[in-house]
Amino acid sequence: MSNELLKVDDLKVRFKTDEGYVSTVNGVSFSVEQGETLAIVGESGSGKSVTSLALMGILPANGEIYEGAITFEDKDLRSLSKKEYRKMRGDDIAMIFQEPMTALNPVFTIGYQLRETLIVHNNMNKEQAHKKGIEMLETVGIPDSDRVMGRFPHQLSGGMRQRVMIAMALSCNPKLLIADEPTTALDVTIQAQILTLLRNLKKNSNTSIIIITHDLGVVAELADRVVVMYAGEVVEVAPIQELFDNPRHPYTRGLISSIPKIHDVVDELYSIEGTVPNPSNMPTGCKFHPRCPLADIECTKVHPELEYISEKHAKRCIKVKG
Amino acid sequence: MKYLVQSMIKTIPVLLLITLIVFLLIRVTGDPVSLMLPETATEEERDSLRESMGLNEPLPIQYFSYLGDLVTGDFGDSFRYNTDALSLVLERLPATFELAIASMIVAIIISVPLGILSAVKRNSFFDLFITGGAVLGKAMPNFWLGIMLILFLSVTFQIFPVSGRGTLGHLVLPAITLGTGIAAEMTRLIRSSMLEILEQDFIRTARSKGLRESIIVNKHAFRNALIPVVTIMALQTATLVGGTLITETVFAWPGLGQLLVQSVNLRDMAVVQAATFIIAIFVILSNLLADLIYRFLDPRIKYE
Repeated sequence: MSNELLKVDDLKVRFKTDEGYVSTVNGVSFSVEQGETLAIVGESGSGKSVTSLALMGILPANGEIYEGAITFEDKDLRSLSKKEYRKMRGDDIAMIFQEPMTALNPVFTIGYQLRETLIVHNNMNKEQAHKKGIEMLETVGIPDSDRVMGRFPHQLSGGMRQRVMIAMALSCNPKLLIADEPTTALDVTIQAQILTLLRNLKKNSNTSIIIITHDLGVVAELADRVVVMYAGEVVEVAPIQELFDNPRHPYTRGLISSIPKIHDVVDELYSIEGTVPNPSNMPTGCKFHPRCPLADIECTKVHPELEYISEKHAKRCIKVKG
Repeated sequence: MKYLVQSMIKTIPVLLLITLIVFLLIRVTGDPVSLMLPETATEEERDSLRESMGLNEPLPIQYFSYLGDLVTGDFGDSFRYNTDALSLVLERLPATFELAIASMIVAIIISVPLGILSAVKRNSFFDLFITGGAVLGKAMPNFWLGIMLILFLSVTFQIFPVSGRGTLGHLVLPAITLGTGIAAEMTRLIRSSMLEILEQDFIRTARSKGLRESIIVNKHAFRNALIPVVTIMALQTATLVGGTLITETVFAWPGLGQLLVQSVNLRDMAVVQAATFIIAIFVILSNLLADLIYRFLDPRIKYE
């Protein structure tokens, strides 16, 4: 594919702990095309956030990529020097985080934090960066942006702060925006506004977006394609419509069944039994088998491969055929 | 500004309480007259001296007349030097300040880079070395460090003068002696404060923006980490003004601590009262200064 922007191939990430290395991302592969919005879906602990930090090259100090390749515009990101990688961050690849309340530095003004990125990457002087900052705040729908530049984060609401984060991330026109649970910490009405903002970005620019979420509602709103992750692995990949119409992996089916439907009257909402396994104590065979309604003895022994059932649809399950 | 005025007003009861406590303590610890007269003095001679000093009056009356004088800035006269107690104290202040500021500078120069580095390189050999060194620095008695410095740098190598006050050279050894202990405490504090801040989400944001690691550490993290450190700095500065007797004695430094201890031993009431009052004012001022610095460092703090 010529317009492939990012390609992640067999990515493995591990963390050094007191009990030795624990691998939380175990061979994740996916790609993002130019202008495409890809959703990575999974429960907490599925490795989706770690994957995004690995892409940005900002894993915590005890974490490391120990296998696999990340290719961004034909550049192998793992072979970049620290300096080269740093220059890409915030410029070519930008990121917004889950917690707008804590993601901004409390002791610097909004203006300072916005200008910083522009000065570092775009060689702007302070006045130019300030002007551009005001412009960016307007783009993300912050009224009175001139005055907001002089405010401190604690003087803004959560929704406003997330807008500031988005403005900051978009200020250098990134080719790829990674949004890690951008709406999870916000009120429902604010969530809708932020989603609208992201949808407009998608419509009006050629920026590719990776949206990381556990909320299939968000996925349905934004994504072109979905990667479902479970226990550090990709278990299903499919275009959005296909995924909702014809989910193949039992885990995906479980996730979709867990969405409450307004017209169905039920006593109890559906949920997938059990929890995501601990990375230091993974089940043998298929990692989902302890929670899977279809699992049998074979599933405890064989670790299934990701298998393409059509050109764009892949699943990691031996029980579901075709 | 309103906050400043309010804080000033709030310090008045504190100062009053301090005058009362010091007034009582110095009077229960013994009679100055017995030290001023020879052992052979008669009871009449003692009584007349007491009367001339006003010590025969009931304590409340003595206290209120002391307060009355104090309002006019009169702390009374030193029994020993026969001069105004306040001017004796004020005479010592420049030396005390000089040493306090120099020690603080030494402490900052040592602790800021070491604290930051040992947080950034946590659990490395360097970090272990620094944290170990900090324990040692804290545990080392001042007088011992002072004497060792004199032995090596003044006696053996003759780089700095042994004792006394005058040139910048005189200041170096006592400042290092006092600064080391403070540096040890501040290094540990800066390290733990930095470690906490470096885990924060906004540091991850700063990284995702592609900022240089030096900017992230020295600007984004350190500015936040400094807030708890300022408290300790204020307390330490107050301690430095109040009394650094041991170091002053080792280096024959003519500071406030020496004067205060001499006066306590001689029951030189007026000087003790004047010195403690002045020290109390500086303790209060340094805390107020810390509050103002907080406000500058952390925009979330507002005083109403």
